[in-house]
Amino acid sequence: MSVSDTKNTDTDNNTTHFGFKQVDKNQKVDMVKEVFQSVAAKYDIMNDMMSFGIHRLWKRYTIDCSGVRAGHKILDLAGGTGDLTAKFSRIVGESGQVVLADINDAMLKVGRDKLRNLGIVGNVEYVQANAETLPFPDNTFDIITIAFGLRNVTDKAKALASMHRVLKPGGRLLVLEFSKPTNEMLSKAYDLYSFHLLPKMGQVIANDSESYQYLAESIRMHPGQDELKSMMDEAGFEHTSYQNLTGGIVAMHRGFKF
Amino acid sequence: MPLPQLLTSAIEIGINQLLALDPDSPARLAKLKGKTLQVKVKELPWPLIFSFSDQVDVRTSQTATNEQPEAPISSDCFIELNLETLPKLKDSSQLTQLIQQQKLNLIGDIYIAQTFSTLIKDLDIDWEEQLSQYTGDVVAHQTFSTMQSAFSDLKRQLTTSAEQLSNKLTEPNGLSVSKNEFFLFSDDVSDIRSHVERLDARLAILEQKQLSRTSNTKDDTQ
Ligand SMILES: C[S@@+](CC[C@H](N)C(=O)[O-])C[C@H]1O[C@@H](n2cnc3c(N)ncnc32)[C@H](O)[C@@H]1O
Repeated sequence: MSVSDTKNTDTDNNTTHFGFKQVDKNQKVDMVKEVFQSVAAKYDIMNDMMSFGIHRLWKRYTIDCSGVRAGHKILDLAGGTGDLTAKFSRIVGESGQVVLADINDAMLKVGRDKLRNLGIVGNVEYVQANAETLPFPDNTFDIITIAFGLRNVTDKAKALASMHRVLKPGGRLLVLEFSKPTNEMLSKAYDLYSFHLLPKMGQVIANDSESYQYLAESIRMHPGQDELKSMMDEAGFEHTSYQNLTGGIVAMHRGFKF
Repeated sequence: MPLPQLLTSAIEIGINQLLALDPDSPARLAKLKGKTLQVKVKELPWPLIFSFSDQVDVRTSQTATNEQPEAPISSDCFIELNLETLPKLKDSSQLTQLIQQQKLNLIGDIYIAQTFSTLIKDLDIDWEEQLSQYTGDVVAHQTFSTMQSAFSDLKRQLTTSAEQLSNKLTEPNGLSVSKNEFFLFSDDVSDIRSHVERLDARLAILEQKQLSRTSNTKDDTQ
């Protein structure tokens, strides 16, 4: 399946894409919400199954690129079930703070319960928020991460600008997101996997093939490596760069605010 | 596949699992809480960074390929050394000596390096106790004694045979093996063989005991 002729950017008028569907911009937030409401409980196990556990290494890579140290204040945006938050919380220690922000209360709840069970309390705050309109003062965070979240946001440019605003000067943004495989063969195998196998796995494990069909489609509609890098430049980030992981199935974009 | 992350994740899982097996380790780990130790092994392209909380988190520091290398992550203690010096860190009393011999470069608080080294070295894991969680106390104890005595028997026999062989080889006419000696050697081999068979039988009995134990427990619950 090829979607290279479909526009990847957010559409200009009042509609936007929801997977391959064209929907009203106001509708998308609710539709995304429904997807994550529906997958929240099985989210972690599906993540492991779908990526064969490799998502853990992608997340580790993100942390290794973050320059995090004790005392930092971190925003884990679209943080969902809190994998990044858990590790950040232990590293920043008592003098630091991690804010796990997500638009979806079901995901936040699963995240909060999971982290509490892991004994992570004290320096983590849970905030329900939309990435487009972050409810924090200017120049608040040393590091912002958004892992597998940006693709679900309706107005990505607005969200990037909002992240730039709340980042401290000297701080950095890390965007971990599905991207475009760089190799033709890998790309074909990946298409086959995500459009045929993935929805079936979703059906069997989470009894929800539609959400995983959306997942596959939304990945294809997300801007490619260079396009996302330019969007970050436009939002005011500097020294932007990206690194392909696992043959470009995922890319880690990084940008600074000076 | 991000290889450095695979490595740090393996080290992290290994350390934390070992720590979890020693009931005294949380108290010793607490001394390091909130601290960071950075180890730069010269042969590796990236440093290993250990952060201590209720567990040990291991990570590295990465720069994107098209970027200038970043300033090293600020840590409470930074150690730089060669791969061959790494095993010597096990003995925390050697640290100062290694620094004097310029085999180790240390910046920051030496106490952190010493405490971490002691944390790993002093791990006191009761393997018999661990095994008993799976097999029950009696079986674990028997298996352990059986294995211990089997190993020391085996070691004794091998040493005797090796001594005989080396004596043989150092004799002036050492390379000629007499019929008699050949039979002696064959006897030794068959001794070892029967020993292994006995060990096998003992393990089979233990297995049998364990099976009947489980089925008894099942019967009890019925
Ligand atoms: C695929 S999950 C990723 C969760 C987590 N970061 C991880 O990597 O495992 C995507 C998350 O983005 C959240 N999300 C979607 N749209 C959002 C928005 N506009 N603002 C904030 N979070 C959003 C969803 O609720 C969901 O929890």
